[in-house]
Amino acid sequence: MPIKQLLRTAWRSIKTNKSRSLLTVLGVIIGVASVIILVSVGSGLKDYITNEMQDMGSNLVMIIPGDIDLDKLGAGGSSAMSGSFAAMQASKLKLDYIEDLKQGIPEIKDVVGLVMGSAPIRYQNEAMSAQIIGTTENYTDLRQYGFTAGGFFSKSDVNSGRKVAAIGHKIADELFAGVVPIGEKIKLGEYRYAVIGVIEEKGGQGSLTPDDKVYVPITVAQRQFAQNNIGMIFAEAKTADGVALVVSRSEEILQRSLDEDEFTVLNQKEILSTVSGILNTLTAALGGIAAISLLVGGIGIMNIMLVSVTERTQEIGLRKALGAKPEVILAQFLTEAVVLSVGGGIVGILLGAGGALLLNIFMPATITAWSIVLAFVVSAAVGIIFGVAPAKKASQLSPIEALRHE
Amino acid sequence: MANNSLLTVQNVSKIYQMDGISVKALNEVSLEIKPGEFVAIIGPSGSGKSTLMHLIGCLDVPTSGKIILDQHDVSRMTERELSEIRNKKIGFIFQSFNLLARTSALENVALPLSYNGTTETEGQKLAQVALAKVGLGDRLYHHPNQLSGGQQQRVAIARALVTNPAILLADEPTGNLDSKSGKEVMKNLHDLHQQGKTIILVTHDDKVADLAERKIRLKDGRITK
Repeated sequence: MPIKQLLRTAWRSIKTNKSRSLLTVLGVIIGVASVIILVSVGSGLKDYITNEMQDMGSNLVMIIPGDIDLDKLGAGGSSAMSGSFAAMQASKLKLDYIEDLKQGIPEIKDVVGLVMGSAPIRYQNEAMSAQIIGTTENYTDLRQYGFTAGGFFSKSDVNSGRKVAAIGHKIADELFAGVVPIGEKIKLGEYRYAVIGVIEEKGGQGSLTPDDKVYVPITVAQRQFAQNNIGMIFAEAKTADGVALVVSRSEEILQRSLDEDEFTVLNQKEILSTVSGILNTLTAALGGIAAISLLVGGIGIMNIMLVSVTERTQEIGLRKALGAKPEVILAQFLTEAVVLSVGGGIVGILLGAGGALLLNIFMPATITAWSIVLAFVVSAAVGIIFGVAPAKKASQLSPIEALRHE
Repeated sequence: MANNSLLTVQNVSKIYQMDGISVKALNEVSLEIKPGEFVAIIGPSGSGKSTLMHLIGCLDVPTSGKIILDQHDVSRMTERELSEIRNKKIGFIFQSFNLLARTSALENVALPLSYNGTTETEGQKLAQVALAKVGLGDRLYHHPNQLSGGQQQRVAIARALVTNPAILLADEPTGNLDSKSGKEVMKNLHDLHQQGKTIILVTHDDKVADLAERKIRLKDGRITK
């Protein structure tokens, strides 16, 4: 029997039970759409984080306090990262190391130190809470930040501990509505700072955007937060090939004054691959959960096809009496199941893609081609797998028994 | 065995197993039907006439004995082979018409052709001719629910004719019809016989069987006359 005729027969029978077919297909539609949406959320998150990390600059080496094992992080989500704030407080890293590293490793292009904390920020009657980053004068070069007004503090500002601050775009907007902030005085906690620069808008959120941060000389921040250590050191290698050398030389230099478990040297590429590994697992898990609903949809199709075979026993008997071979009957019912599941798959893809686009307004969501192909292939497979049993049952009916069925 | 017979049934028995008990529905039945004959198989319910019709119609195979239909031994065939024989050699007419709902008369009649590789265009042409032959040339696109019972049965007759089978096998064709439509259907069958068709009519009704040239009477699985 030609495929055109099989499709027409299938379509006619689906149309006969419109609402039943629609409800059956709904299971597949929801399954496919949720696979696409959840996978898009997972991969959107991954793209977002990877982009943000790459924005930090290439060939980056991070030196952080404490003993952190990336492999453990990747394998089981230990609390290594979440414990890092406490680790920063207890940091044994010193400001002097910045100069030691710069002097000791010729492959290093630049080194910056960081001290982080938060404090209320006030300007006249306006107040808000801000994250304060104490750093060295070369920070904005390393991060490649520009300025909409003014500039960053200088090396002598850091050395002399001048109380000056560069503020993020969002803080400038909210605190200084309309006023040019340069030269204005702000209060961070109990300390008074002069604003010397406004960093251009970078967008994004979390710890990686400068928009809602206040940058002050690292020496002042140490005084403000009563610390004589520093929280973190970033070093940039001159070339990509130099990164490994910078990591091993940094470890050598730091081990002169620190124990092995008091610091960790991380390479940005390693972190990136660990993080994207975790997020790939997350994406797969989300997709897998959604795929369960696709499976349930498939069972729905099987259920309805079994009912359909019973209802149409007489029709099957007639077709057999008129000369339909068992495989033709099999093909007919299988076609019907596949039309249902593939039809549901296509609607599900449209709905899922639309949903992911809509979601993208509120959070990062990237529609991936593989999730669409996968959803389509799985929905077709669901039709075939769950259609076979009912179709086989139909094809094996005895024509006499079937004709007698009332 | 005479060479000119179209259907030869030789010592055929059919035994059904029902809940472990053997029921002999047909007991050593033999008969012969020649091309162009109009034969009625008649008997009360439980006489084995339905079983015999199923065997002649190649819907089932006998437990023992031999059935030769148009030179094919159909008594030892597989379901696949039987479906091909049914398609080519047998035209079925059922008591309850058995037309596909929501499907036009034309497509209903063309259905058996779709199972033997006839193209759709060719099938529709042949179906149109068959419908014209039973006087429904103006009802091609009507669905079964738009046709009277008599008209529906005539669509079924057209469907039985469309493959140009060796035998038309009618199972109580007037059973679901009022007497007027019944008469019309019987006239259709009579006309087809006049045109040289071989017809086997299965019925419990003597009056209907009277239209046939020859009656084969069954009782308790045996031919009585």
